[in-house]
Amino acid sequence: MKLRTLLSLCAGASLSMLTACASTQPAQDTSDYDPLEPVNRVVHGVNGAVDFMVLYPAAMWYRDIAPQPVKTAVRSFVRNIGEPVNALNSLLQGDPDQAADSVQRFIMNTTIGFLGFNDVAADFGIAYHSEDFGQTLGHYGIGGGPYIVLPLLGPSNLRDTAGIAVDYVSNPLTWGSRNSETLDTLYLGSLALTALNARYSTLNQLNELQQTSIDYYAALRSLYRQQRNAAIRNGAEPSAPEFEDESASADFDDAFEAAAN
Amino acid sequence: MVRSNMKSRIAIPALAAAIVSVTGLMAGPAFAGNATSASSHTVEVAASRSATDVIKTLASEAIVGLTDQSLSNDTRRQNFVALMDRYFAMDVISRFVLGRYWRSISEEELSEFADLLQDYLALNYASQFKDFNGEQFVVGDEKQQNKDTFVNSQFVRPDGPPVSIVWRLREFGDEYKIIDVTVEGLSMGITQRDEFTAVIQQNGGEVSALTENLRAKVGK
Repeated sequence: MKLRTLLSLCAGASLSMLTACASTQPAQDTSDYDPLEPVNRVVHGVNGAVDFMVLYPAAMWYRDIAPQPVKTAVRSFVRNIGEPVNALNSLLQGDPDQAADSVQRFIMNTTIGFLGFNDVAADFGIAYHSEDFGQTLGHYGIGGGPYIVLPLLGPSNLRDTAGIAVDYVSNPLTWGSRNSETLDTLYLGSLALTALNARYSTLNQLNELQQTSIDYYAALRSLYRQQRNAAIRNGAEPSAPEFEDESASADFDDAFEAAAN
Repeated sequence: MVRSNMKSRIAIPALAAAIVSVTGLMAGPAFAGNATSASSHTVEVAASRSATDVIKTLASEAIVGLTDQSLSNDTRRQNFVALMDRYFAMDVISRFVLGRYWRSISEEELSEFADLLQDYLALNYASQFKDFNGEQFVVGDEKQQNKDTFVNSQFVRPDGPPVSIVWRLREFGDEYKIIDVTVEGLSMGITQRDEFTAVIQQNGGEVSALTENLRAKVGK
């Protein structure tokens, strides 16, 4: 398991760098910080080519062929695989109630929901919460750091990349897959379904963005930052005063004054 | 439970703001101490619509002017531009989306950019109203924050969870105009600003490069 050791080391190293700038407020990045832009743009281009050849056609095929119940089942399965990580991170963010939701969902859906393909917990009104370690770090005030376009995975930043490594290491399924062929197959299958489901669910938005934008790379970068901000503040209202985007406010003030004259 | 608590918390500042603005007018120099002029002023306050009402009117006008299936694409785009002119502070928005670069260009260049921006937005968004079918637009509460009023609303779809839309309005003279729209936490203004300033930066700080790109997009 060399990959695991390497990932743990990377995660540890970048975490110690990141925690140096922690504060008590949830982190809300207000501008793009992209010192690696030339490299990122190249990776973005390669990802686009791979997407065009593999993921995009697969997602289109899935959209046209798979009936809605299948799509719903796949989405539930993918979500269920992530529940242990959701629970752990809710706990780390000091929200035991939310962690309990995720644990209950995982137990119910894995058993009577047949490996998670049927989201029975939703029928009992137990809400789904998506939490990852990047969000946990953000919750404790750690900003995103430099923007990074990961090969295959796409938009990320230093904090969230470290988060992905931690989530990988802390996911019980990746531990289980070391010892059991069945779990290994399940894990690999879940990765493929996760990719398919993720690409399918963003099909329309990404198509549209690609068509309408002038700089697709820059638009994605901005949307990634804002989406992570929203995920970190956990559904608090986007315009909630405590999360006011200061730089945008100042820019609006300037533009307003100029327009008034 | 949480929802209802939140609502009552918001209602109090809104009420307070209303009282302050009314008393502020009464204390102003226009109030000469006679009852008739005071009442005429309160009538003026009532006449200027609240931010929430502005969004409600915009929604009903958009349904009439944009969702009709029989409209041609051109007409729909023209109607979209007309709605932007009426409800959005386009001169503020066109500066905002240029980031700090609006200072480096002339008034003519800015107004040329503002026109292109409207065409560009109409091209991108007007067609989305074509497939409007069975969705409902529900306007919620409003909240004051510094100079701006944020109006919450939801786009309720028959298939899938509702989409949260927050409108950011600012008072111009005596009417509210929209300066930003945030969909599910993603601000249209900020996204556009980040993208546009990236294009300008990539081209050595020349706004004309962006303008050329926009012109190519809208086919002018």
